[in-house]
Amino acid sequence: MALIFIRTAIIFLTLLFIMRLMGKSQIGEMQPFEFVITLLIAELACIPMADSSIPLLYGVIAIVAIFILHQIVWLLDLWFKPVKTAVCGKPSLVINKNGVDEYQLKTNNLDVSDLIESMRAAGYFSLDDVYYGLYESNGSFSALENPDRKSSSLPVLLIDGGKADKKNLEICGITREELQAFLSAQDTQLKQVLVMTVSGDGRVYLQKRGEKYRILEMELKNKW
Amino acid sequence: MVKSIIYTVTAILLCLALFIGVEFYLNEQFGEFHDTLETLYKKVENETANREDAYAVRQMWTDKKSKLHIFIPHNDISYVDYWLSEACGFIYEKEYGLALANIEVLKEITKNLPGGYTLKLENIF
Repeated sequence: MALIFIRTAIIFLTLLFIMRLMGKSQIGEMQPFEFVITLLIAELACIPMADSSIPLLYGVIAIVAIFILHQIVWLLDLWFKPVKTAVCGKPSLVINKNGVDEYQLKTNNLDVSDLIESMRAAGYFSLDDVYYGLYESNGSFSALENPDRKSSSLPVLLIDGGKADKKNLEICGITREELQAFLSAQDTQLKQVLVMTVSGDGRVYLQKRGEKYRILEMELKNKW
Repeated sequence: MVKSIIYTVTAILLCLALFIGVEFYLNEQFGEFHDTLETLYKKVENETANREDAYAVRQMWTDKKSKLHIFIPHNDISYVDYWLSEACGFIYEKEYGLALANIEVLKEITKNLPGGYTLKLENIF
């Protein structure tokens, strides 16, 4: 019986560690340890239920072990701040006054398109619609809204991490040469660009790696 | 908060009591059965074992396994069932040499089985 308890605890801690390493993209509005418990409980309840050769007591002990571990983690969370940070992580400021923080995104195994997706889910369609954007430790996105929101049409991601998105270029009716010419006019190369989006009205959000973002205008054949 | 702490400590204490209880129970049950098999082995060796002896050992195992099912995987119990049935069959037929071999296997299984559930590093991983 004690074996089952110890084995459950080892699996719990391993899963928790792996979930923390995977970053916020894998969690989805739960604390990492809550997510691990959700993963484990279902499986632990099912195995002895479906396999009659395993005593039901094994499943009960494993579930009680999860309960005890949950309580211990919860109490440690309350009493010791460093443990809370280690177990649950801390919020990551991914958008600041300079624009997108690439380092914070990479730390959480996210890219610009993930960030834009989270922003859209939160009701912000342009990267400059928010002053500050952050991923909470449970993986949800929070933002401090820019009161002068200017986006009037859907921005399309043209460059993500130094790579041009062919499909989106086609949608916007921009050729690769036109994009290169636009970047050259800004004294920039494709590889140096962290993110570039363009709205239907020609409004461009351009951020070079390690620099503050700029809002520019671009001539578009297609408007949307 | 206090309620949660009480629940947690109670759960830990109950688990500890269960672990220790089960450990002793398994060792005791398999120890008793091992001793009985030892006696049967000696009788088979002397070719004095009969149908009643085999039946008594079988009956003892049947009583024990009904409770052991709660604590150990049923496949492990099936091993004992298999070898015990074969040993009893050989005793009924007075095939003492073959029965000895089977009881030897049974003794080994009952000696090693409880060890498979104790808290040891090799069992954890």
